[in-house]
Amino acid sequence: MSDGGVDPGAARNGATEELALSVRNLSTVFEDGSRTVHAVRDVSFDMRPTERLGVVGESGSGKSALALSILGLIEPPGRVLGGEVVLDGRDISKLSDRELGAVRGTHISLILQDPMSALDPVKTIGSQIVEAITANDAHIRRAAARRRAADLLREVDIPQAESRLDDYPHQYSGGMRQRVAIAIAIANNPSVLIADEPTTALDVTTQSQVLALLDRLVEQHGTAVILITHNLGIVSDFCDAVAVMYAGRFVETSGVDHIFLHPTHPYSEALLKCVPNPERLADGPLPAITGFPPDLAALPGGCSFAPRCPVGREIAECHERSPRSHHVVDASGPADVECHFAEQRSAAVTA
Amino acid sequence: MGGVVTRRVLGSLGAIFGATILAFIILRALPGNPARLIVGPLGTPQAIAAVEHQIGLDKSIIAQYWLYISNFFKGNWGYSYADGKSVSSLIGERLPATIELALFSFALTMFFSIALALLVTYRRRPVADRIVRGIAYLGFGTPPFFVALLLLIVSFRSLHVLPGPEGRLGLQATPPPTVTHLYTVDSLIAGQFGTFWASFKHLLLPAIALGLSSFSFIVRLLRANLLEISREPFITVARGKGLRRWTAFRRHALPNAFLPTLTAAGLVLGEFLAGSVLIERVFNWPGVGSLVFEAIVKQDFAIVQTFILLSAVMFVLVNLAVDLLYAVIDPRVRIASVATS
Repeated sequence: MSDGGVDPGAARNGATEELALSVRNLSTVFEDGSRTVHAVRDVSFDMRPTERLGVVGESGSGKSALALSILGLIEPPGRVLGGEVVLDGRDISKLSDRELGAVRGTHISLILQDPMSALDPVKTIGSQIVEAITANDAHIRRAAARRRAADLLREVDIPQAESRLDDYPHQYSGGMRQRVAIAIAIANNPSVLIADEPTTALDVTTQSQVLALLDRLVEQHGTAVILITHNLGIVSDFCDAVAVMYAGRFVETSGVDHIFLHPTHPYSEALLKCVPNPERLADGPLPAITGFPPDLAALPGGCSFAPRCPVGREIAECHERSPRSHHVVDASGPADVECHFAEQRSAAVTA
Repeated sequence: MGGVVTRRVLGSLGAIFGATILAFIILRALPGNPARLIVGPLGTPQAIAAVEHQIGLDKSIIAQYWLYISNFFKGNWGYSYADGKSVSSLIGERLPATIELALFSFALTMFFSIALALLVTYRRRPVADRIVRGIAYLGFGTPPFFVALLLLIVSFRSLHVLPGPEGRLGLQATPPPTVTHLYTVDSLIAGQFGTFWASFKHLLLPAIALGLSSFSFIVRLLRANLLEISREPFITVARGKGLRRWTAFRRHALPNAFLPTLTAAGLVLGEFLAGSVLIERVFNWPGVGSLVFEAIVKQDFAIVQTFILLSAVMFVLVNLAVDLLYAVIDPRVRIASVATS
């Protein structure tokens, strides 16, 4: 996992390695009366087994919608417009609800942000874990499923697992509930796990414990992880690759080193500058990205970051023409960048 | 689970005590002397004094109150001023009609509330949703007696599809052999399907008139709860486990959405069982409501006073039952009550 993470050019170069997940041109909209919110716009990426991809971006940039779109869990008024989701070599984007049910949990699963609302308050912890086991294995005996549930609780470090199966969610702390959510997600040993801000709702100590647990389990099980977060610190600790999401698109995809050393997209650069850094204390107050994320129902023409972009704000081309994806390589590794000035900016770094 | 149960039972006893005091005070505050009413306009002062002594009016207020509630809880509810029959036997005669109407209307109300709330929340059905909400607003805002008259005009006078305001079976029909006092059940037990059909048809309009506003209330409550719960992350998690849409909805959305509805359902059942004076009057339904109406007209306060207290007690008991049911089915209440006991 030290090879600089995802190689955005791998698929293009015809790499023969089996992919855990390949997303092609995925688009999702939410239709509310006459407003159409373009939450996910033409997103493509590949993940190798055991790879860890961090998806970062501001609130409302479409990160969670992307997660639900991959799982086929977009509910009306949302709708997946099109695209392919190839999971373990099989396109799951056109499957029926029943067929998708057999895929969810076994091949791909998810962890949500708020552990307080991710568990049903009126069902026991045990029954909710057992449900994850029986949903995909109708023939397993009750006692066996319960033993497996207890094993899973032990695996996520819940003490007295056997007796705590009969507790209800309100008897667990937030950190423990998130451990249960992890137990549910890994119950069937999926090849891809989507974690949507799994630690945002936890306090800092619990955060690092839960993250360490997740780290250990995905390492053991060889699970590929999509970690959705706006915490760049977590990304640098946990991920191999990063996708920076802006207005529903991946504007820069690269290995972690590249993003932290030489962010090429002006948005990535701006995002990074907003991370508090003790070494830059002398530089005065923490900078913020000026302006607001664009209204996804009324996107401007051209590059959607142009109105806020320190580079392209004054440049006509940026407001008129959508940038295509540029493959750039510099000392910190390769990256795919959607910016008219990607090559220039990358070259400036190398020079 | 001692804590919650004790608290609820004590609370209910307090409410019943309050109701007895209130009923007692109202009774004393009424103009006129009950003894004079019983003896009649031509009674001599001696006769009135004798009756006053007989019903305890010459005792102290405290003693009168004690007599009043001890008699009430012994089922000794006094005698009708009008025809001298015991109040308990009069109410007993009328109770089955009220109970049958209440249960039937409650079943209809709950069935349609649940079915329609599910219909408009399980999948997005904007048109059906608008219709259901429209009915609910109208039903909530229209007085029940007006609904009753409207139903009679449409389905009895204009369309001739359902019987008119002629009580439980109509004038000529003979009731089925008595087992439960509920005509629909008794006729089925006796195998008289014609009588069953007749009593069913007679129940339909009063049940709708009685239940419409409660239906409107519950369907709105349930719809809002279901919409809210189906957006909860735990539903997404359940789907993420590989559960199919309906399974996730049934196992996780329904139980959570039904819990708050339980209280409302309890209130509605309590209200129905207490009998509706107006609805029973409109349909000539021979229930407790009609009895009370007749008693009010005849100033027969022995009946009115018993009815008031009886409906208060019934209401409190139904609510107590709902509260206790909560402690059994909602783990948050159940476990909290174990912890405090």
